[in-house]
Amino acid sequence: MNMSMLGIIDATAHSQNIDDLIQNRSMAAIPFGGRYRLIDFVLSNLVNSGVDSVAIFPKYQYRSLMDHLGSGKEWDLNRKRDGLFFFPSPHLHDEYDEFGSFRQFKDHFDYFKRSRQEYTVITNSHTVCNIDFCKVLKHHIEMGCDVTEITKEGNSLQMYVLKTSLLKDLISSYDNNGFTTLNQVVNEGRSQLNICEYAYNGYVSVIDSIQSYFRYSLDLLKPEVWKELFPKAAPIYTKVKDEPPTKYLKSSYVRNSMIANGCRIEGHVENSIIFRAVHIGKDTVIKNGIIMQKSTVGENCVLDNVILDKDVKIGSHEVLKGTMEHPIVLRKGSVQGVLIKS
Amino acid sequence: MKKKCVAMLLAGGKGSRLSSLTKNLAKPAVPFGGKYRIIDFTLSNCTNSGIDTVGVLTQYQPLVLHSYIGIGSAWDLDRKNGGVTVLPPYAESSEVKWYKGTASAIYQNLNYLEQYDPEYVLILSGDHIYKMDYSKMLDYHVERNADVSISVIEVPWEEANRFGIMNTNEQMEVVEFDEKPQNPKNNLASMGVYIFKWSVLQEYLEMDERNPYSSNDFGKDVIPLLIEEKKKLVAYPYKGYWKDVGTVKSLWEANMDLLKDDPELNLFSQDWRIYSVNPNQPPQFISAEAEVTDSLVNEGCVVYGTVQHSVLFQGVTVGKDTFLKKCVVMPDAVIGNNVYIENAIVPSGMTIEDGTVIRSNPELEEVLLVTPDYIRQQQVAARDAEVTEKRT
Repeated sequence: MNMSMLGIIDATAHSQNIDDLIQNRSMAAIPFGGRYRLIDFVLSNLVNSGVDSVAIFPKYQYRSLMDHLGSGKEWDLNRKRDGLFFFPSPHLHDEYDEFGSFRQFKDHFDYFKRSRQEYTVITNSHTVCNIDFCKVLKHHIEMGCDVTEITKEGNSLQMYVLKTSLLKDLISSYDNNGFTTLNQVVNEGRSQLNICEYAYNGYVSVIDSIQSYFRYSLDLLKPEVWKELFPKAAPIYTKVKDEPPTKYLKSSYVRNSMIANGCRIEGHVENSIIFRAVHIGKDTVIKNGIIMQKSTVGENCVLDNVILDKDVKIGSHEVLKGTMEHPIVLRKGSVQGVLIKS
Repeated sequence: MKKKCVAMLLAGGKGSRLSSLTKNLAKPAVPFGGKYRIIDFTLSNCTNSGIDTVGVLTQYQPLVLHSYIGIGSAWDLDRKNGGVTVLPPYAESSEVKWYKGTASAIYQNLNYLEQYDPEYVLILSGDHIYKMDYSKMLDYHVERNADVSISVIEVPWEEANRFGIMNTNEQMEVVEFDEKPQNPKNNLASMGVYIFKWSVLQEYLEMDERNPYSSNDFGKDVIPLLIEEKKKLVAYPYKGYWKDVGTVKSLWEANMDLLKDDPELNLFSQDWRIYSVNPNQPPQFISAEAEVTDSLVNEGCVVYGTVQHSVLFQGVTVGKDTFLKKCVVMPDAVIGNNVYIENAIVPSGMTIEDGTVIRSNPELEEVLLVTPDYIRQQQVAARDAEVTEKRT
């Protein structure tokens, strides 16, 4: 049985509800879980499922996404044959701007023509899970399906498996058969296709708003969640940085937190996610904080329910208090309070 | 293609005094500093000094070292022209030529150097922890028009008898070399870092090889011969952190040095990064019951217990109600619940059963190496003590 799969990541998603975090990046490139970007999860899932040709279709602000992915080396996708492909949309914002839009695939139809993989997985870029697509494909073949939609508790995860030949037919005829997106094919019931559902029962979080970003980030502190997302057998790959181990100073107090490398922790950190190379000053208290890469917090601050994007600088004696429903978000590179020269 | 300076990194050492830590791997591959292996420091120094052609000479237990170095991409040494080349001993016509000493190791790879036709050859050892800009030493070597430059560091007088001591004149020219002298006249120790003029290196290695009485060692044979022949040897004074982590205790001490508030060897500085093969591990998780202070902790660690003044490498698990103090815990070690360990090195992949207590004798100031053998001995001793107690 030919079980080879092509991986398609639709990274065009754009939500106003997460505006503060996508000023300079696409949703796929939002930092998540201390050292990852959202796209790392589906991309690693594809690689761990044996997919060795992955095409990414980005649309807005994809500089940081390209910078993150590079040649695909970290995912073992820098191959002579197949590997990682990047297909930005040549069109500006318009009515075709939807997940699984056939027009964006048609713009790069040669990729599909040249691929020899029998099946294709299509997924969005901002779903956090650790799923084995081989199991989905097996189910798809056994049930004799034309298109399989992956769902969680009845909701679509915007992940589909279908034959590459069928996808090519759908793409090449989208302007005369009335189906312009994959979603229409699955949901409008006009087609003669056998549509199946694959109910996934593992942990899933879809990040599409500040609230969901905050809630699901803190979800990672539950051992049952991180154990499921980061199993040894199916690791989540990401761009590596040569940061040293994190240093906990004598004055540090850290509880129930996830901390990446390269940090210097002098203060009090509780229920928080700390990204790489963050500095937390003395006598500062952080609770329910998401502190992204290279941010620094001075001394004697109190931060409660906050999200600090990358390179945020906070002086000393600052107080920032948000709520669980409405965390305070400081955008990338912002400066709060008076900074003491170090 | 011609290169100005090519580095030859001697990485074949067994490091016998590191006991079972080097049972299955060469000393340069021994883990250090929560994330690194000893050789990372020398390789990163090369990259940061702009030296892009490095021959790594291996011999003892090379498997881990070879797979770790790979094609050198971790240090940005995967180059089309130059880059890193691993040079193990090889068979020639009828016999396998093992590297007898440091000099014979280089001699047997003169053909590697010939293909780059360098002006200078930098000889390094993969056994030391330090940050050094070799390009500055090369400038000094060129400026002094020396045949050989030897990097030296001031060591405490009372320890000078453990090192190769360089006796110099006022122009910093080396007039005498004392290997581990009883009564040192100087406290300038050789760091095992040499820059040779390529022509001088070729000539003297061939001369040394022809001498049947030579042990083919740079320190013992080649350097004294060069002094005797009145070649121009200059000492290059180095200031900064430099440590030979040759024993279990010195390895532990060098790890503890990193925990100082302002350590002499700063791993955090951006301008002289120490590169290494990055393990792909999730961030470290510090649980609600855990306490971590005054420590270095790497990715992939899961801590439920108390960790004080310790270095935890990637993937270490520390169980509930466990107490670690002044410990170096190497990659993927699993420490159970209710464990107490103080002043110790726990090697890679060790599993410590629940309830184990490992405490060194505080009067001896010893550092324990917690191996499976050590644990077995402890258990036997405990059982014997129990038996004796029952009898009395």
